[in-house]
Amino acid sequence: METRLAPSSPGLPPWLNIGMRVALAVFGAYGFGVLAGAAFVRGLPFASPRDAVAFSLMLGFLLDACAVVWVFAAATVLRAALGLFLPALFLGAWLHFSG
Amino acid sequence: MLPPLRFDQPRPLRLSMAWLHTWTGLLLGWLLFAIFASGSLSFFRSEINFWMHPELHRLRDDARAIAHARRILEREAPDSRQWTITLPGPRDPTLFVAWRVDGASMASSATARAQDRANAPTGGQRRPAHGLRPETRRLALDPSTGEILKLREGSGATFLFRFHFQLHGVGWFIGRWIVGVAAMIMLVALVSGVIIHRNIFKDFFTFRPNKGKRSWLDAHALVGVVSLPFHFAITFSGLLLLGALLMPSVVRSGYSNVPNAPNFTMDIRGGRDRFNLAPPSGKPAALAELAPILDAAQNAWGGEKAGSVVVTNPGDASATVAVIQTHGNSLANRGVARRALFDGATGARLETPIEASPSAIVAVWNALVTLHMGRFATPLQRWLLFLAGVSGTLMIASGLIMWRVSRFKTPGRSEDAPFGYRLVEVLNVSGIAGWLVALGAYFWACRLLPDALAARGDWEVRVFFLAWVVSFVHAAFREHLRAWVEQLRFSGALIALLPLINGLTGGAPLFRSVVAGPWQVAGFDIFALAAGALLLFVARKVHQAEADDSPITDG
Repeated sequence: METRLAPSSPGLPPWLNIGMRVALAVFGAYGFGVLAGAAFVRGLPFASPRDAVAFSLMLGFLLDACAVVWVFAAATVLRAALGLFLPALFLGAWLHFSG
Repeated sequence: MLPPLRFDQPRPLRLSMAWLHTWTGLLLGWLLFAIFASGSLSFFRSEINFWMHPELHRLRDDARAIAHARRILEREAPDSRQWTITLPGPRDPTLFVAWRVDGASMASSATARAQDRANAPTGGQRRPAHGLRPETRRLALDPSTGEILKLREGSGATFLFRFHFQLHGVGWFIGRWIVGVAAMIMLVALVSGVIIHRNIFKDFFTFRPNKGKRSWLDAHALVGVVSLPFHFAITFSGLLLLGALLMPSVVRSGYSNVPNAPNFTMDIRGGRDRFNLAPPSGKPAALAELAPILDAAQNAWGGEKAGSVVVTNPGDASATVAVIQTHGNSLANRGVARRALFDGATGARLETPIEASPSAIVAVWNALVTLHMGRFATPLQRWLLFLAGVSGTLMIASGLIMWRVSRFKTPGRSEDAPFGYRLVEVLNVSGIAGWLVALGAYFWACRLLPDALAARGDWEVRVFFLAWVVSFVHAAFREHLRAWVEQLRFSGALIALLPLINGLTGGAPLFRSVVAGPWQVAGFDIFALAAGALLLFVARKVHQAEADDSPITDG
């Protein structure tokens, strides 16, 4: 229980810390789920659009939920944000440049 | 008690998850309670609907329904391209006939459709065309006489069913989004709940009664764990059912946005093809007798009952008759029922086209969605689904009560509570007991509002919401435990008296239905009695706690 997981985020008042995490959980996690879903549809070799969208919606919702858990589990707000934005950036860039 | 948590400081994962579980659970808990409760009832939508139409309780099925259906369809819809006969069954003894009104083609113009509408015989509930689904009309018939039944106007169980996925009065789009967000929050609460619940199996066998907060925690964990797979499946599949709405960009990346192009929602339900009919040959031919066809199909299935009969191109040489089972057995195949196909002119059995088995991905999707809708369920499975839904409802309710119990120590003395705690108290009473009051009032309104009342169905719904609002106001002005006792008592009385109201307002009375049927009505009445008695018992318990100030709700 007393294991120190990570350093604290100095300088942020507690309410702002929670507020930012809530915003990340609501918008960031959803955006991440949608981006990942869209990328799966585009990137994975499915037999039909029906398979592609069904698979990606299921995974998109699961990733959305996991991302919310991540945002509140991460040690600092910065880490929570980077954990969402770096993969999202990668997925977004890939979607953009793959046409 | 967990130590206070600060997100700006190092903290163990379990503490973060406990925070997440607590606040996601509280945020929309009352809405989730209403969604789970009305959704659980929706597993018995047909039975509740039937109870709410006492004018149908006298109907008896004497196996002549199919002939009556044909006679009425030949009179009312001789030119229709497709008839659907829904046979009386164990869940609803009413005979329904429906027919397509769009004429030659699915893509008929608006004027052609308007003409069809003008030519269509009077009567029949209109089901307007939706997307690619053609417009149909429907009549309810007495299965033993073929007489057209005038159904009393009412919102029925359909109101509860619709409420559980799109709420009421906010428009379906916004309503479904709110429910979708609530479902996502529920999923997060479930995941975080499992993470914080370390000793999931040990705690399952632990119950410490009369220990205040510990008892509530044990109860919450018990109903949570006992049907945890159900809670996950029902929440996740709920999201999938709203999936195309909640994540439209994912759908758009797989389907083009052109009107009339293939569309995911139709595609996943089995495609548009099922609405495209084989063209008629143009040569008239009398339709074969339907009763022998029905018998042949049921014999071929070893006595398994047929649920419906679909006649395509009646009166044409190319007519076909499809006999379809009541419920399917395959979860993966959307619970699609077995069907037998016959030549409509000769009555000979035709080769049934083999249903392509779905891909693995679609099979998983279908299994989840079919479970959610309970389409496949036999009576026993339906009760299990319902009880699992009830356990989810109780899990939400106990969690909400625990939030209050673990924070504010003096039961009953709530005037000096901070505003936030007081708000949770009021919402707990009116969201849980008050919802049950509203439900009871809704059933009473269904039976007591005069038949002639214009927009009667809307009034039923108004009574539901009015009762809910009144229970909120009541909870706000009463002591916390007093409010619980009074609303639990009132809801218990309303619900326990439903069998009496049923017998007095034209329904099949319990003493008769319990020996001679209809069984759905007997089942509804017995369940109402039991549920009402249980609510009165709980009210008594809370009353005792209030009287001797014993720490039943204390921390």
